[in-house]
Amino acid sequence: MNIESRRMEEIKDRVLQVLTDGNLDYRQKKHLLAYIAESTQAYPEISKEATAALNEKIICDLFEGNAPYRPRYVLPDYAYALKNGVNYLELEPPTNFDEAINFLSILYVQVPSITGYSVYLGNIDTLLLGYVDDLSEEEIYKKLKLFWQFIDRTLPDAFVHINIGPEDNIIARVILRIERELKQVVPNLTLKYDPEITSDELLLEASKTVFEVAKPHIANHKMTASDFKGEYGVVSCYNSLPVGGGSHTLIRLNLKKITDLHSGDADSFISGTLKKYCEMTLDVIEARTKYLVETVKYYDNDFLAKEGIISLDNFSAMFGFYGLAECVNQFMKRCGNELCYGKDEEANQLAHLILEEMKKIVDARELPYCKASNGKAFFHAQSGIDIDIEETAGARIPIGSEPDIYSHINAVAPHHHLFNGGISDIFHFDETVKRNRTAIVDIIKGAFRKGMRMFTFNLSNGEFIRITGYLVRRSDLLEFREEGSRYGSALFAANSMDNANVDNRVSKRVISNEQVAGKY
Amino acid sequence: MSKLQANISGIIKSSVIDGPGNRMVIFFQECNLNCMYCHNSHTIGLCNLCGTCVHTCPSNSLKIDSKNKRIIHNENSCTRCDECLKVCPENSSPFYKQMSVEDIISEILEGKDFISGITVSGGEVMLHAPFLSLLFQEIRSNSELKHLSILIDSNGNIDQEKWNSLLPYIDGVMLDIKAYSANTHKKITGYSNEKILKSIHYLDNKSKLKELRFVLVPDYNNHEMEIREIAKLMKSVSPSVQKSLIKMRKHGIRKEFAHLIEPREEEIEYAKNIFSQAKLDILVI
Repeated sequence: MNIESRRMEEIKDRVLQVLTDGNLDYRQKKHLLAYIAESTQAYPEISKEATAALNEKIICDLFEGNAPYRPRYVLPDYAYALKNGVNYLELEPPTNFDEAINFLSILYVQVPSITGYSVYLGNIDTLLLGYVDDLSEEEIYKKLKLFWQFIDRTLPDAFVHINIGPEDNIIARVILRIERELKQVVPNLTLKYDPEITSDELLLEASKTVFEVAKPHIANHKMTASDFKGEYGVVSCYNSLPVGGGSHTLIRLNLKKITDLHSGDADSFISGTLKKYCEMTLDVIEARTKYLVETVKYYDNDFLAKEGIISLDNFSAMFGFYGLAECVNQFMKRCGNELCYGKDEEANQLAHLILEEMKKIVDARELPYCKASNGKAFFHAQSGIDIDIEETAGARIPIGSEPDIYSHINAVAPHHHLFNGGISDIFHFDETVKRNRTAIVDIIKGAFRKGMRMFTFNLSNGEFIRITGYLVRRSDLLEFREEGSRYGSALFAANSMDNANVDNRVSKRVISNEQVAGKY
Repeated sequence: MSKLQANISGIIKSSVIDGPGNRMVIFFQECNLNCMYCHNSHTIGLCNLCGTCVHTCPSNSLKIDSKNKRIIHNENSCTRCDECLKVCPENSSPFYKQMSVEDIISEILEGKDFISGITVSGGEVMLHAPFLSLLFQEIRSNSELKHLSILIDSNGNIDQEKWNSLLPYIDGVMLDIKAYSANTHKKITGYSNEKILKSIHYLDNKSKLKELRFVLVPDYNNHEMEIREIAKLMKSVSPSVQKSLIKMRKHGIRKEFAHLIEPREEEIEYAKNIFSQAKLDILVI
């Protein structure tokens, strides 16, 4: 058999595997079949070295596919669409609340992404406030509850993200009430919080909701907004990106693997290996971006771009990394001490230094089609995916070795300012905190005073489990092992539970056959 | 700052169960009651350097420093088996430390961004009223700390005038009533409850009583009459005072009190009913 026909056979096998996998539903199969079809194309042109790094997962493109034909993260300017209507969808600007919800529902399913489901559904309270008129709270509640159910059932992916805040308003409050009541995985939810704008009461409502459904995440609004020229949205796994734009791609560098490759000390790592692989990661970003813009001509053809709901000028690309903890701890070990990132100041200082140097390298590289961030990639601490076995997400402290909460915050807050593309650290609370919501408010306020960009919770014994950046229901996870789940992200979660120590957070470890996204 | 020192058995930097918000809790050593169900009985007494713990310690982590009249504790070799606490004839501990107001202020400064306030607890914290007075004055005059709320968690077994010097600085007091009848109280705590009852009314009159708690102990204070009297007492204080019914838990209590039994669900229900009949809104913990 020649190479071509062997390749064809291999593709056929992969297709058959997807077709016959009983854990996948029809839509999930269709999505994976498209992924296999895309993989038949040659990768955008990159160096041999970069190709090797991708193959060895030193650089990871997060299964974006060989031939990018849609941006990874699209944040439509829904306010613009609501104001001007959408010709392509034959939608007139809505005139009341029902029409606005219907308008958005239609638009949501048209927004492309890597997962097939829109990662951003807008700053929903500000979008809808103008349509409230004389509706009572109960009327708003009834309408939004159906809308929320529509979102969860139609866009069943935990990376689908919606924002509220920073102003306290009736829609934000009703949404928190609905969240507590429906206990859905989708949409993921972020409250933009600014102590000068957001009321304490709204933050208390949010923390009450956190105890029920482990969301919303609380974003430091003032800090994040200052990184953007226009409006921003928090999407997918805590990525902050410009509204009306987004990110062509997200490529991440595995800091653990490049540390293993490097034989010297931390200084020579920073000036040599780190720099080399950061540049290589940026090469991959550049090649993929050019392919999307120049070969596929996505921004010339998609109705969102044609109608001004997104604009290429509001796009950039994201440079991500993971495994900082393993990198730092490895260098500590090489100096002959067992100091740990998160616990020891010397290790924390090395972590900050590595991050600052990476940021400098990223900022020094001019990239095409990245006007949204002045021609530089957004810097992002990537919160991990299911295949990460030995690496801790982004710049997080490994699960199980987090110090007490103040030390934890003090260890990570000093580098949060670097991440205009987003960063997250997860804080664990036990059940007792449920009786005392203001305690959470105190800790969030303290964390933001220390320079944290995003605050995310995990409550032990909660019904929801946070897997890297998104949520799954405990029951869904169990169910997926047995018979598949309606949520695409439950598959990622099942794998994450197997691969990382994420299961330290659940009371019962469920054993199952492993499924890795890349296996198809 | 004053040279005054207090014996501190521990500081918890973040507590969500000692008053509203996230709080720093400072525990003082020494108590003037001896409750059967005390979960921290090693905070009751003071060390008299008898050396029992030093001889018992399996990792040889304790030494008597006779010159400074204290026990030296080697934190590196200590395995926290807590054998020392179990054998101490004085219900004391080799771990508590002498701290000055200044020492405590610097601890609070470290955590100030994360907390609503501080709670002082024990042991019986009111045995250290002069120290507390200095500490609270210091907090109230420090521009970075003066916004913090100050709560006292006390057993109330203290002369009325001791409260006076502290009330201007504090936000409130959380008190326990272990039993209404003096006899039952004596059985549970070893002491009578006259001062405690006075403290409750005094603090309530001054609008400084924040919470009044009753710990239900089967065979001791769970008779109908006893609970009715407690309900009457709770009813007599301002409605704004939080009232709590706490189930006695056996966790951490001393061997000699192993005969105590935790209340069953129906016993809690029975007590709750009596409180409801008295039209009391009570939180069960």
